Amino acid sequence: MFSLKNQLELRKVTISSLLTCIYLPSIVTVVSFKGLLYSVGNGSSFYILVLIFLAELLKSFYLNASNDIQAKRSKGNRIKVSDILRSFIFLLVTLFSFFIGIMLFGAPILDCHEETLMLSSLMTLLTVFPLIAHSGVEASMQQLFGMKNYGRDSITEMLVNNSIMTVCGAWIGAVVIPLDWNTPWQQWPIPCYLGAISGYLLSNVLTVFKVILMSAAQKYPVINFIVNFLNTRHHVK
Amino acid sequence: MNEKWNFTIYLVWFSYLILSAALMFGRGFLLSRKTLNDITDCEPLENFGCDGYSKSNLSDVCNEEEKIRRILANPGSEIACAPTRQRVVFILVDALRYDFTEYIPDLENPLPYQNRLTIINELLEKWPKRTRLFRFMADPPTTTQQRVKALVTGSLPTFIDASSNFAALELQEDNAIDQIVRASGKIVLLGDDTWARLIPGRWLRSHTMYSFHTWDLDTVDTEIDSKIYKELEKDDWDLLVAHYLGVDHAGHRYGPNHAEMTRKLDETNNRLKKIIKMLPPDVLLFVVGDHGMTETGDHGGESKAERTAAFFAYRGSGFGGDSDSIKTGKEVQQTDLAPTLCAALGRPPPAPCLGNLLLPVLPPLPMSHTLLHLSNNLKQIKQYLIRYGEESQQIPLDRLAQLINATREQIDKAATIETESELSIYVTDVRALIDNTRSLFRDVWVEFDSLYMMRALLLLLIAIFFNCLIAEGLPMDRIPQIFSSSFIVSGIIALTVCVTMCYTAFYLDLIEDLEHAILLSTGLISGVVICALVILHWNSITQRWYETPLLFYERFARAALIGSAVLLVSNSYIIEEGVCLSFLTLSVLATIVWHIRTIKAVALWACSGVVLAVSRSYRGCREEQGDCWTQGGGVNSADPASRAALVLALGSVAAIVAVARRHIGWRGHGVVVCGLFTCAHWAVGWGNLGSPSRSRLLARGAWLVIGCIFVLLWREDGRGAILPLTVCGLMFYIGNSLVLGVAYAPTAALALLSGILVLYIVSTMKNEGSTKFALSTRCSSSVACLWALMASYYFYGTGHHATLGHLRWAPAFHAGDPTYLPIGHEITAALVTLELFGMPLMFGAALPLLVLWGPGSAAVGPRSQLTGVFVLSLKFTICFAIRVFISALSATIHCRHLMIWGVFTPKLLFECGACLAAFVGTILGLSLTTWHLSTQQRQS
Repeated sequence: MFSLKNQLELRKVTISSLLTCIYLPSIVTVVSFKGLLYSVGNGSSFYILVLIFLAELLKSFYLNASNDIQAKRSKGNRIKVSDILRSFIFLLVTLFSFFIGIMLFGAPILDCHEETLMLSSLMTLLTVFPLIAHSGVEASMQQLFGMKNYGRDSITEMLVNNSIMTVCGAWIGAVVIPLDWNTPWQQWPIPCYLGAISGYLLSNVLTVFKVILMSAAQKYPVINFIVNFLNTRHHVK
Repeated sequence: MNEKWNFTIYLVWFSYLILSAALMFGRGFLLSRKTLNDITDCEPLENFGCDGYSKSNLSDVCNEEEKIRRILANPGSEIACAPTRQRVVFILVDALRYDFTEYIPDLENPLPYQNRLTIINELLEKWPKRTRLFRFMADPPTTTQQRVKALVTGSLPTFIDASSNFAALELQEDNAIDQIVRASGKIVLLGDDTWARLIPGRWLRSHTMYSFHTWDLDTVDTEIDSKIYKELEKDDWDLLVAHYLGVDHAGHRYGPNHAEMTRKLDETNNRLKKIIKMLPPDVLLFVVGDHGMTETGDHGGESKAERTAAFFAYRGSGFGGDSDSIKTGKEVQQTDLAPTLCAALGRPPPAPCLGNLLLPVLPPLPMSHTLLHLSNNLKQIKQYLIRYGEESQQIPLDRLAQLINATREQIDKAATIETESELSIYVTDVRALIDNTRSLFRDVWVEFDSLYMMRALLLLLIAIFFNCLIAEGLPMDRIPQIFSSSFIVSGIIALTVCVTMCYTAFYLDLIEDLEHAILLSTGLISGVVICALVILHWNSITQRWYETPLLFYERFARAALIGSAVLLVSNSYIIEEGVCLSFLTLSVLATIVWHIRTIKAVALWACSGVVLAVSRSYRGCREEQGDCWTQGGGVNSADPASRAALVLALGSVAAIVAVARRHIGWRGHGVVVCGLFTCAHWAVGWGNLGSPSRSRLLARGAWLVIGCIFVLLWREDGRGAILPLTVCGLMFYIGNSLVLGVAYAPTAALALLSGILVLYIVSTMKNEGSTKFALSTRCSSSVACLWALMASYYFYGTGHHATLGHLRWAPAFHAGDPTYLPIGHEITAALVTLELFGMPLMFGAALPLLVLWGPGSAAVGPRSQLTGVFVLSLKFTICFAIRVFISALSATIHCRHLMIWGVFTPKLLFECGACLAAFVGTILGLSLTTWHLSTQQRQS
């Protein structure tokens, strides 16, 4: 649940979500116009991951950088090499556990490793990476597993919501795979890949929508009802 | 404390409600064809006068040709017997697929079944006039008994017959055999006793043998061979029926790609050579297959390979038929055989027949005779259309009237045919008309009794809905009180009154269908009683719902269960159900683990994921799964188990017995003996060196020990219910491994393992709150849904598929052939059922462990424990009931679907079977718990 107390945070949340709502659909649109949408499972589509990586990195810079007042006080704004190394290892571990988890859920075990790897790296990129970039390894682990309400600001809240929705999107994407329609987009891992992206996108759209509604609710208290409803729905826990 | 049994009684009551509704649905859904007792009869030509009327007073003398012309010109006349009669040798080679008979020249590496029946090709090339080879298309279901029925009646079989394959009933309808007997024809029968059971007492001589010893490739065939040549020399018969089983049994046991199949086909080849050599030139020889087989050698479904049988005909002095219709490999329908056989023997087609005459396999006939046969065929069909319209409203009247008129027109036209070219056009027209009629009936015979189906769905819905309210709504602490009140007693009294009233009404002839009345009234009255209970306690139910908000994993588990049921509406999900169920199970487990959030829980989750992933390799595939099927994923029943499989099976049983025996006290010895017997049974029976008889003896020993332990489970030792329940689960595990056989035995171990893992996860779930809270957590719906999903998954995990073709009969014979015993059929049925639904049974029996397992459970009293077990059992069975309900609903929705018989109906049947097994297992588990918990209380 977002609070209206910290206007600055709220603005950052809104802007970063809006940015996501712009850059992610544009990537998908360009890729699909190029006719490459159905090759997202191949290693050749690695550039999509790189693009998303860069975008998320820029976003996290934006989210962290203007967080002057608090961030400077808590820890130095300097990025250490050891931090980066640790985050990198942590990302690799997450990637591997996603890889194994997806296989356990039913992905082919003996073949299609490339496709599964692409999917798991996408999911790592969309779920854990923004969290780490925002709040470091330990804090993000604590956010994900364990103490629920520890130092949770609106930004972290949004990021956790995003990652949950991404996983849900990938989960729901798997629904179309068994259907016997024989379409090219039912190939592993395209539905899960696109599902993860759309889950992420949907989460961002919801965030923007919620913030707009909340600011509107200040003027028109009737809307509070919808906000509360959205809060209970969106915040899956 | 006799009220404690009230829980068990209630569960039995609930299971009765669900199963009776399912039975009622089956009666409306699976019965589809109305059988008429009409017979066709014909007047001999001598009885006709020259004006074409039978018993006419005209005393003119005219020749046969003129007489037939007159009869044809008079469309209202009776059916006249054809004047010529042939003798026919009818050889049925069970499962003779068309490509067994095909000869492909220059084939470099022929498969074991290719190019084996060389005699057919030789004859085709040498004497094209004397031989015919057609594709003989069977209608599903392609099981032997249905095919024999269809062959002799010329009609289409219904699905319900498929399930009564082991208890053949006498054929009630008019058929070719009866037709021939009625004209005092003599018939000799050799071979499969299905014929003798279907049509008893019509045979001049019959030498039949029991046909379901599917592992015995030769006895029936050699028995026929010892008789058939002598019979061929005699001439006191008109029809000789010989039914060879070897090819079918070779297919069942080894599959078509095996040297045994080559041997059986070579034998058939030599046999045919010899028969054709001995055959008098004017005798017709029909060699047909009743169905084909899949690449694993099974049959029963509706795939092309199962439906395409071969039809080979030979006559020393040649056949008729024009050039177009005699092409080798043309498709003819199996319904065409009955009228053709009858025509060859000078009889009209049997009354329910919907087939065409096959002129190309009849001797050359003069045109008037051909026309007479054709008009007989049309008249019989017209008669059938009229009678069927009178007896049943299945077919819309306008379509029926249209068909009758078209048939009349064709009958009228028969008199105007003069030249050969006109005749051939006429034959084509008649064929098109009859095909049209046949396809109309085929559509309509998938016609259901919608009233029965709707009532059954309503009863299911009532039972499930109110029991959901009871299981979910009633507060846990009030349940013992409610169930020890007069509720159960009044329910039983209501049911008794109902049944008595139904009997009285039946006795007074007020109602006709007793069974239906009892099912309907008891279902409704139970609904009313349970509804009354819900209304009485509505306050506490709403209060409980208000007070306890649902956690996310609770909601998710319910949604997953409902989702798994809703998936049964789509054929592609049914085909891939194994994948879907494992996906959902793992997801539910993941949300529970997410809720617990400990490293141990995550590790347990990963382990169960790995177990599920390993069981994936045992999940074969069905025919609809194209890629997997063509890669040979379906071919596993045919080959004997490999050495690695034996080692795995022995290792799994040994490991589980070794680990388990330490923890279950004195019962451990029984488990060890049982496991030893099982391992010895496999080891001794393995490979070519093994001794099958000793192996069977050992299997019987294992079953004896299992039975003894089941009896000993009821010995009270005052140490609670956990040990007996564990032993019960282990016994089911060993029983399952026995019937699954060497190749699939490790899957039972996997199922047991994942059950134990889930047990641990659930007991972790409990530890975080206070004891009272823990009890309600442990018997929450999410646990029940998870357990039900797992039990359903392991139907697939043990290598089954929801198709009739995947039924494995081998388990019925692993401990010797039970068919010689007086209760042989029951044993066969029980073993096959255990093999299919052993997993729901095992999970159902182990269900109380979910509540009782772990150290904390002793903190609550036995009374609350029992209540918890009851609530969980009820929820678990409701899960299965929901699945049955949805699959019945989807069968109703899809009753005109292309895949209704291939996908949805088998799924419904298997779902009902799983539900039954779950009920039996749960009731067993609950009563064991009740039995043992009471002891504890008496002591305390």
